[in-house]
Amino acid sequence: MQDQILSWITFIPLLGMAVILLIPKTSLNAIKGVSLAATFVPMVMATWLYFGGFRHLTQGDFDQARVAGDILASQFVQRIPWIDSIGVEYYVGVDGLSIALVWLTTILLFIGVIASFGMEKAGKAYYALLLMLQVGISGVFVSLDLFLFYVFWEIMLLPMYFLIGIWGGPRREYAAIKFFLYTLAGSVLMLIAIVALRLDSGTFSIPKLTEIAAQGKLLGANLPAAGELLGMKFSTWVFWFLFVGFAIKVPVFPFHTWLPDAHVEAPTPISVILAGILLKLGGYGMLRACFPFAPDAFHEFAYVLAILGVISIVYGAFVALGQTDFKKMVAYSSVSHMGYVLLGMGAFTVWGMEGAVLQMFNHGTSSAALFLIVGVLYDRAHHRDLNAFGGMSQIMPRYWALTTLGFFAALGLPGLAGFVSEALTLIGAYQAGDARFRTLVFISLLGVVFTAAFLLWAMQRVFLGQKNEKYAGFEEINFRELVCQAPLLFLCILFGILPAFLLDWMHPSVQNLLSILGAKA
Amino acid sequence: MNAYLDGLRGLQPEIVMTITALAALVFDLVLKGRESRRVGYLTLAGLAFTAWFLLGQWGDSAPRTVFGMVAVDQFGNFFKLFTVAALAMVVLFVMHDQREREHGVGEYYFLLLGAAIGVFFMVSTNNLLLMVLGFELLSLASYSLAGFHKGDRKSAEAAMKYVIFGGLATGIMLYGMSLLYGLTGTIDLAKMGVEGGGLVTQLAKSPVPVGIAMVLILAGFAYKVSVAPFHFWTPDVYEGAPTPVTTFLAVASKAAGFGVMLRFLGAIFLRPGVADNVAAYGERIGLLLAILAAITMTLGNFAALRQTSLKRMLAYSSIAHAGYVLIGVACMTEQGFGAALYYLAAYYFMNLGAFGFLLYFEGVNGNDSVESLKGMGFKAPLISCVMIAFLVSLTGLPPTVGFYGKYLLFVEGVNQGLYWLVVVAALNSVVSLFYYLRVAKALFLAKPAEREAAPAPVLTGFVTALGVATVVLGLYVPPLVAWAQRSLDVLRG
Repeated sequence: MQDQILSWITFIPLLGMAVILLIPKTSLNAIKGVSLAATFVPMVMATWLYFGGFRHLTQGDFDQARVAGDILASQFVQRIPWIDSIGVEYYVGVDGLSIALVWLTTILLFIGVIASFGMEKAGKAYYALLLMLQVGISGVFVSLDLFLFYVFWEIMLLPMYFLIGIWGGPRREYAAIKFFLYTLAGSVLMLIAIVALRLDSGTFSIPKLTEIAAQGKLLGANLPAAGELLGMKFSTWVFWFLFVGFAIKVPVFPFHTWLPDAHVEAPTPISVILAGILLKLGGYGMLRACFPFAPDAFHEFAYVLAILGVISIVYGAFVALGQTDFKKMVAYSSVSHMGYVLLGMGAFTVWGMEGAVLQMFNHGTSSAALFLIVGVLYDRAHHRDLNAFGGMSQIMPRYWALTTLGFFAALGLPGLAGFVSEALTLIGAYQAGDARFRTLVFISLLGVVFTAAFLLWAMQRVFLGQKNEKYAGFEEINFRELVCQAPLLFLCILFGILPAFLLDWMHPSVQNLLSILGAKA
Repeated sequence: MNAYLDGLRGLQPEIVMTITALAALVFDLVLKGRESRRVGYLTLAGLAFTAWFLLGQWGDSAPRTVFGMVAVDQFGNFFKLFTVAALAMVVLFVMHDQREREHGVGEYYFLLLGAAIGVFFMVSTNNLLLMVLGFELLSLASYSLAGFHKGDRKSAEAAMKYVIFGGLATGIMLYGMSLLYGLTGTIDLAKMGVEGGGLVTQLAKSPVPVGIAMVLILAGFAYKVSVAPFHFWTPDVYEGAPTPVTTFLAVASKAAGFGVMLRFLGAIFLRPGVADNVAAYGERIGLLLAILAAITMTLGNFAALRQTSLKRMLAYSSIAHAGYVLIGVACMTEQGFGAALYYLAAYYFMNLGAFGFLLYFEGVNGNDSVESLKGMGFKAPLISCVMIAFLVSLTGLPPTVGFYGKYLLFVEGVNQGLYWLVVVAALNSVVSLFYYLRVAKALFLAKPAEREAAPAPVLTGFVTALGVATVVLGLYVPPLVAWAQRSLDVLRG
């Protein structure tokens, strides 16, 4: 059981989906019950995995693992041959980079299911697709085989398309297809890179590929004329093909335009999952399956990545400032916040890298909370125009309190989670010891200011000021909504005070990753 | 006498097919057009027998040649089994086509079987003459099938276009073959490219005449599989022909065209012992095919974007897929051909399924527009969900058989250094997603339709089986890969 725990976490939702398909669509309560169970059990397992099962490794462990052929020192590994003829394996495991994200996935999907209970239209197909989505997401985080990684990566797209397209807002068709096309455009390029990597190295194993690349042997020597193609080195091609695929998912400026559309049209629970987890796949993918395979190119273009990150930070925040749609504002804030991830990674310092990974987790909780907050208001008012509200603090004081907490977590108030990770990335980038990076840090401070501005301004417009009598009859935030938000806000506070609960898990793997990437520098 | 009997044994599948065809014709006459469904059952029984004999030949693996003309080998076996399987599905479609009730369908089976016999011969010979005979038999039967709805203007127009284009294409091909014969002095493909063969000395003199012959011959093949710029007939004929016939043309006839193309190229350029200059020339032909592949898939996909009729959309999509298969051919390697065969096998499941879906909704809606599918996904959920699987597979997303097919093609493309082609193909699948999703959008993203969809349990059952195969074979790939690989025994001599 323990050896297969990752498979259980990944595939219990699939089991739940199969059960749901067998239940007649009229018994909605049974369907809800099954989805709840099928997301609750993986969450319990992942929580145990995080706090109980996962071993904190020392440098000695990494050295040992390297000798044993797993440079990443993954735990709970399961390895079964899948497609023998081309050497594809069912190869899963977690390390310090993925464990927190697996945990976050299970939490957010569970919350997503509860949040869905408020949707009248959500029926059998909805919950089945939601569970299928979870299989894809968890699968990507645990895959250590590149082929398997890609299969899970693509499995996510279809349920997401339908979840936005069927249950979304007025422009849902446009948003859904835009999401699908953007992501697919990125992932077909990834597929080519994956094929090329496999043909050059003879393996799909991510640890193996990482090791070969670290030794500087992944140069396209086994491919015709691939040493240098159109004036670019093989590893540079691989780097950009993979990077664009992941950057679209993050999304990094200028690939971000699908995100506001998708968010605005998606129903609340789907927005929560989209912002909370799907975006993290991009950042995670870069750390797991892009930088390690082309360390040279990574170092060469690290500064470009940092610039893209800073543009995302400032531009995202600036555009958010101009929004009148509450949800669109939050969506652009996601673009801004995910920019820190890129800046931190580009800086290539311990703090920067850790800040990036931490920021992924913290953005997962805070942005999910923000989307839930938007959902609460939207469910009552059926619009999201920031300018049309006013004085909501007098009508829904408890809701206001939660919102304040969520906003402060998002704008990086010290004591809350966002502060730690943003500070880490900025300090990390500053530490890069290079005037160019220092300039970037100063520019991105602009983003911090803008973020505070648009959040506080939104707060002022919606909650403060003259009470709008039209909305005086709104009921206070209800129990179900509270249950969804409370755990997320709790995590925001917890990891704001005790970031060690995340950092201690990540630190050894980040250290290891840096040494792998640095070995070539 | 013994050798003669031995030879006949090799021809068992062809003989059974011929007997079935004649029996179907006579049986229909006896029935006088009533209860023509029984002819369908007879045909299915004949196909089952043929498949049984084919599977018997599957066991004895040594390739041999019967009467110096018909090659009995795994390669031919692959396409024969493919044709039988496709034909069986088409026959089932005919039997469950709501619209066919009004037409006399007895001749349908005879013509379909006749076309299949043509396929049998054209894919299993290294002899140019027999190749042409089989090709013509397939073509003639296809022309009449396309115009089967005599009263329907569109059907008649389709048949006419098909005949004129087809006649021209076959003529060009035949001219090319006569040139090749004149240049090499033999009609046996196997003897041309090896040391001392006519092609070797010709190429040593000048590659131009050989080039002309090759281009003309490949034009004939390209027409059959609708590769640009020989694809113009495809959308009109596919749209005008009765849907089961369209299915036959899009699946069986296209695969047969690829069969003959692979056989032709394989027998000359990839045979063991091929002369160096011939092999080098083969690579240049590969480059030509790579360019055609890129043009074909781009053109097919972009044209499909604008279609309002599902049938026409599938026609353009089938052009695009011909482009994908051509990647494997263009590699001019055994692995490349294997990938092409695998892709064709994948194409069988996903495209037959898509056409089965089309057939069902033609019966329900009375037309084939994408618009009329709006909201019907909620009225016929099973077949619509299965259709999503076909669309995903046609786009080339995992976990489906189409994804693995595309993966294999990409692998060989990259392996041969055709990077640009692989990138074009990959971006093309993004384009194709857009129009495939239009079907998904119409089915599920609109409000549930007011109309009800009359159930068709048998048809739905078969389409669902294809859908299950599309997904299962995408997750469990060894059987199809092994089949495709084993079918290339001819290349190993």
